[in-house]
Amino acid sequence: MDIVVIHALNALLYASVLFLIAGGLSLIYGVMRIVNLAHGNLYAFGAYVSAWVVGLLVARAPEGASPSTVLLLLLLPAGAVAAAAFGALLEPTLLRPFYKRAEEYQLLVTFGLLMIIDDVIRWLWGPYPLSASVLFENFGSLGIGDAIYPTYNFLVIAVGALAAVFLWAFIYKTRFGVVLRATSQNMRMSSALGVNVNRVYVQAFTLGCLMAGLGGAIIVPSQSAVLGMGVDALILSFIVVVVGGLGSLEGALLGALIVGVVREAGIAWFPEIELAVLYLIAAAVLLIRPAGLFGRA
Amino acid sequence: MVSQPAPVLEVEKVETYRGPAQILRSVSLTLGTGESVCLVGRNGAGKTTTIDTIMGLLPSRSGRVRFKGQDVTRLPAHQRARLGIGYAPEDCGIFPDLSVEENFQITAWLGQAAAVTADDQVFAIFPEMKTFMARRGLHLSGGQKKMLAITRALTLKPSVLLLDEPFEGLAPVVVTRFIEAVRAIKALGVSVLIAESHVQNAGRIADRLYAIDRGEIIFAGRPAELLGNAEVMKTLHG
Repeated sequence: MDIVVIHALNALLYASVLFLIAGGLSLIYGVMRIVNLAHGNLYAFGAYVSAWVVGLLVARAPEGASPSTVLLLLLLPAGAVAAAAFGALLEPTLLRPFYKRAEEYQLLVTFGLLMIIDDVIRWLWGPYPLSASVLFENFGSLGIGDAIYPTYNFLVIAVGALAAVFLWAFIYKTRFGVVLRATSQNMRMSSALGVNVNRVYVQAFTLGCLMAGLGGAIIVPSQSAVLGMGVDALILSFIVVVVGGLGSLEGALLGALIVGVVREAGIAWFPEIELAVLYLIAAAVLLIRPAGLFGRA
Repeated sequence: MVSQPAPVLEVEKVETYRGPAQILRSVSLTLGTGESVCLVGRNGAGKTTTIDTIMGLLPSRSGRVRFKGQDVTRLPAHQRARLGIGYAPEDCGIFPDLSVEENFQITAWLGQAAAVTADDQVFAIFPEMKTFMARRGLHLSGGQKKMLAITRALTLKPSVLLLDEPFEGLAPVVVTRFIEAVRAIKALGVSVLIAESHVQNAGRIADRLYAIDRGEIIFAGRPAELLGNAEVMKTLHG
């Protein structure tokens, strides 16, 4: 029984981080109709910035002493803020000029951006992993029956759940959310009603990047920031949005839960074909319901 | 020569392209304060392109668009809307996932207009709108979408209202209802420019008419003058 609970918690942990990344990807696509291939590396950028900030604090702490957990927690979202700021800079400068071009240009630009961010990360922090494990260690572990489980993981799950609730409320219960939905449904008409579409685009892109950065920031204490982590996350996020429906936040949530559960089950019972099973599920959804479970054809 | 009120909207020698194709060729027209003017022409003549160019949804390569004397040629659509140019497109442009009420409130939430209430003057035009405020745009009939598009444009409290094919797809009795609505809008002091394919409908509502064919204005005058011009009528009827 304990092992089932542990597996369920791990599935929720994966799902939380995947929702943050895939939710951001889906939000950006839903509003701007851009498939941002660089999204995974914004997640990686968030992870690196948070690990770097935490590392700076640890380095300045007196020898043998650990920095305060509260201070570390307060600094952890630095990665999310940095990714959001990066996004706010990228959208008007690199992406906006390509909105009126064919989709392949947008894909090429965001793929180029993926490469550039990868090199920027390598240039800034070198090829070695960056760790923020001090926070993970400070949280300690919790006994679940005979098993123990890292307490920090509960925080990650809670952040994922809170982000889902916050985003739902933001999109469906606020005035800005209505403007965002209107722009995503008919950009021309929104513009003719006085909506500054460029401003909405930069806000949506920034929010999407904030989510990706937050995913990186909260995962980095339990997993080091490493080169290539962005591409791995992007691939899994694409499976999430294919299953849930690109452009749908509800779809991103359901897709993240499905991928989280299947991945955890795969690691436990069929590790050799874990990714193959995920791709098969994505292929089945594409065959049966090409727009995804929550997507609109 | 037709006497005209002071123009609130002036389009001067506008040339607009869609991709490499030139659609408008030196189009000029004016809309006076409190006036209703129809732009008539066959499908593909350039009516929608003219409306889109005035709204700023399509850039013109040359020429000028002036609103209340201000050159708005290079202003984006949202700034023109905020200045007071309302727009109801041919496809209505309803946001399908938003409720009727949310469709209305966008302009108020952007701070461009006071929040629309059920007692608002704009609801006097189509009072039946109050009965389906909670319905999503996706679930509206064609006529309801037209009503919403026009009423929503009015929430901007515009000085000029651009209506693209407002009577298209409506039953004749409903067309009469919409023509009365346009008269009521005009009575509010709003100048109305209507793109219309049917000369008879246009003749029922317009103070003045422009006929457009292949992107060029081929006639300007009173409805009776147009109906009496066999050559232009022949062109309009293909």
